[in-house]
Amino acid sequence: MRYVPLIVLGACAVTAPVFATQYLSPEQAQKLMFPEADAFRAQPLTLDTAQMRQVEQLAGLPARSNQWRVVGAYKGGTLLGYMVLDDVIGKFELISYAVGLNPDASVRQVEILAYRESHGGEIRLPAWRKQFAGKSAKSGDLRIGAGINNISGATLSCTHVTDGVRRIAAIAQVALAR
Amino acid sequence: MKQRIISAALAAAFLAAPVASMAQETDLAKRVEQLAAELEKVKAELAAQRAQAAAPAAPAPVQAAQPAAAAPVATAATASVAPASDTVFSGYGEVNYNHPVRNASGAQTDLRRAVIGIQHRFDEKTKVVAEFEWEHAIASAEDSGESAIEQMYVEREFNGGLRGKAGLFLMPVGLLNQNHEPTAYYGVERNFVETAIIPTTWREAGLGLSGDFGDGFSWDTGLTTGFDLTKWDPASDEGRESPLGAIHQEGQLAKSRNLSLHGALNWRGYPGLLVGGSVFTGKAGHATPDFAGNDARVTVAELHTRYTPGAWDLSALWAYGRISNTEALNATFVGNATPVPSSFAGWYLQSAYKLWQDGDYTFSPFARFESFNTARSYAQVPAGLGVPATPYERVATVGANLMVGQGVVLKADYQKFREDKTRDRVNLGVGFAY
Repeated sequence: MRYVPLIVLGACAVTAPVFATQYLSPEQAQKLMFPEADAFRAQPLTLDTAQMRQVEQLAGLPARSNQWRVVGAYKGGTLLGYMVLDDVIGKFELISYAVGLNPDASVRQVEILAYRESHGGEIRLPAWRKQFAGKSAKSGDLRIGAGINNISGATLSCTHVTDGVRRIAAIAQVALAR
Repeated sequence: MKQRIISAALAAAFLAAPVASMAQETDLAKRVEQLAAELEKVKAELAAQRAQAAAPAAPAPVQAAQPAAAAPVATAATASVAPASDTVFSGYGEVNYNHPVRNASGAQTDLRRAVIGIQHRFDEKTKVVAEFEWEHAIASAEDSGESAIEQMYVEREFNGGLRGKAGLFLMPVGLLNQNHEPTAYYGVERNFVETAIIPTTWREAGLGLSGDFGDGFSWDTGLTTGFDLTKWDPASDEGRESPLGAIHQEGQLAKSRNLSLHGALNWRGYPGLLVGGSVFTGKAGHATPDFAGNDARVTVAELHTRYTPGAWDLSALWAYGRISNTEALNATFVGNATPVPSSFAGWYLQSAYKLWQDGDYTFSPFARFESFNTARSYAQVPAGLGVPATPYERVATVGANLMVGQGVVLKADYQKFREDKTRDRVNLGVGFAY
């Protein structure tokens, strides 16, 4: 029993470097997206059936879930925007990403939190992610080949992240926009 | 006094240690609680989804629209970072029909290849990737099919995005070699330059390292097996079709007296643009007794670019290969039709346009022009004994890919040959990749 803490410590030491592909924590991402914010509040979102149908229509994709991880960013009580956390599959593995949204549901910023594929890590490049800024579900240009350019050799990762951002932009349009 | 201080310090240290570990324990307990809470959340979500699926108004069938992201992600959406399955199966295959327009009796249908891939992840940083391939449908002593291991390597990720590979892996060369699934290229058949000059799918056994410099630059380098020039058969025209295809070793009892080096650099810093190049070099004689080509060195260099702005998909590639010090070897081949070339080269330009898209269907016509020469020059042999270098073959290909979703492709094209007009042909194909 005496050794339990030691074993726990040892286990921690072994598992600590495991998340090497984790580039950002959600907390780091929200600060990057809203550097001026003085408060972040978790505001989990639950979509009703009608909203899910609207999202599907707007995004041209299944809404996939009715539960969404949303964080509101505030400065002195004023809403600056939202961050929505999500995961999509790249080719074989999960890509964790966060979408920053303005109060009007346009995309503010996209950050990749974790990427695990051998190829296609270039979706982390600022130049690629910058393409999303200012676009919204309504503008129709959150698509590979129509507003968002692909990365050669990372077609699936690009397509799935772009689809994911479009879905989240549609959710914001339906349930968060003011 | 001194002793007392020491013993006090020791006691303090011993007291502090369990406190620290207790803090760890509390942390752990917290994490377990967090996980339990998250599990509850997932359960609740699942229940909600079930309820929704049961409700007649729920638009359940839409889920089928995006197979790649549908099932596993649904639960991951609210759970924290949950890894996908540890073991992933993949596959690709193609069936092709070739019809030479001037020789209808040469029409042929072939199950060109069927590939099963398995990737297993031991942990977040270590995985093994393997691909098993069958070519031409049946592989047996009486049939012309082949069964091969296309890749089998372990990969470990180190700090700073550095990745190390060991095993049999694909050379980081050109646009096709590492992305050779039928859904990834235009045309029924792979282009000639990346078949005859670069022997796609070109793999070697050894060690590799990959990483990136930031700003969109990524690099690969490695020390691997290379080619075996003792395999050259001057009586066969295999070497005329693809000089490197005739002497590659593919990890099969590969001669390893001489090892080869490779390096590749790619830039993807501007959205939609890829610019890169690679070099591979190594001796190919393996100090074989009584072999006249022990000093021969194989070097392959290539440059490639691909730009995909909007609906366009534009690419270009130039490749050059050299086999040095073949004079003595070719002197032993005098009288044969196919001595070892001292250089071979080729390039192509390709343009595709996403013309029409409706739901799952995407129709993209394309045109490709290529020029290649598998025997551009020969090392000098005494006058009258040599074989003349061949002219560049020029091939124009026009056709279209019809993608069904992201995994299935139907292809049709027409290929016109400038030199050997008997090869003009119409091709049809179906392929898939998942």
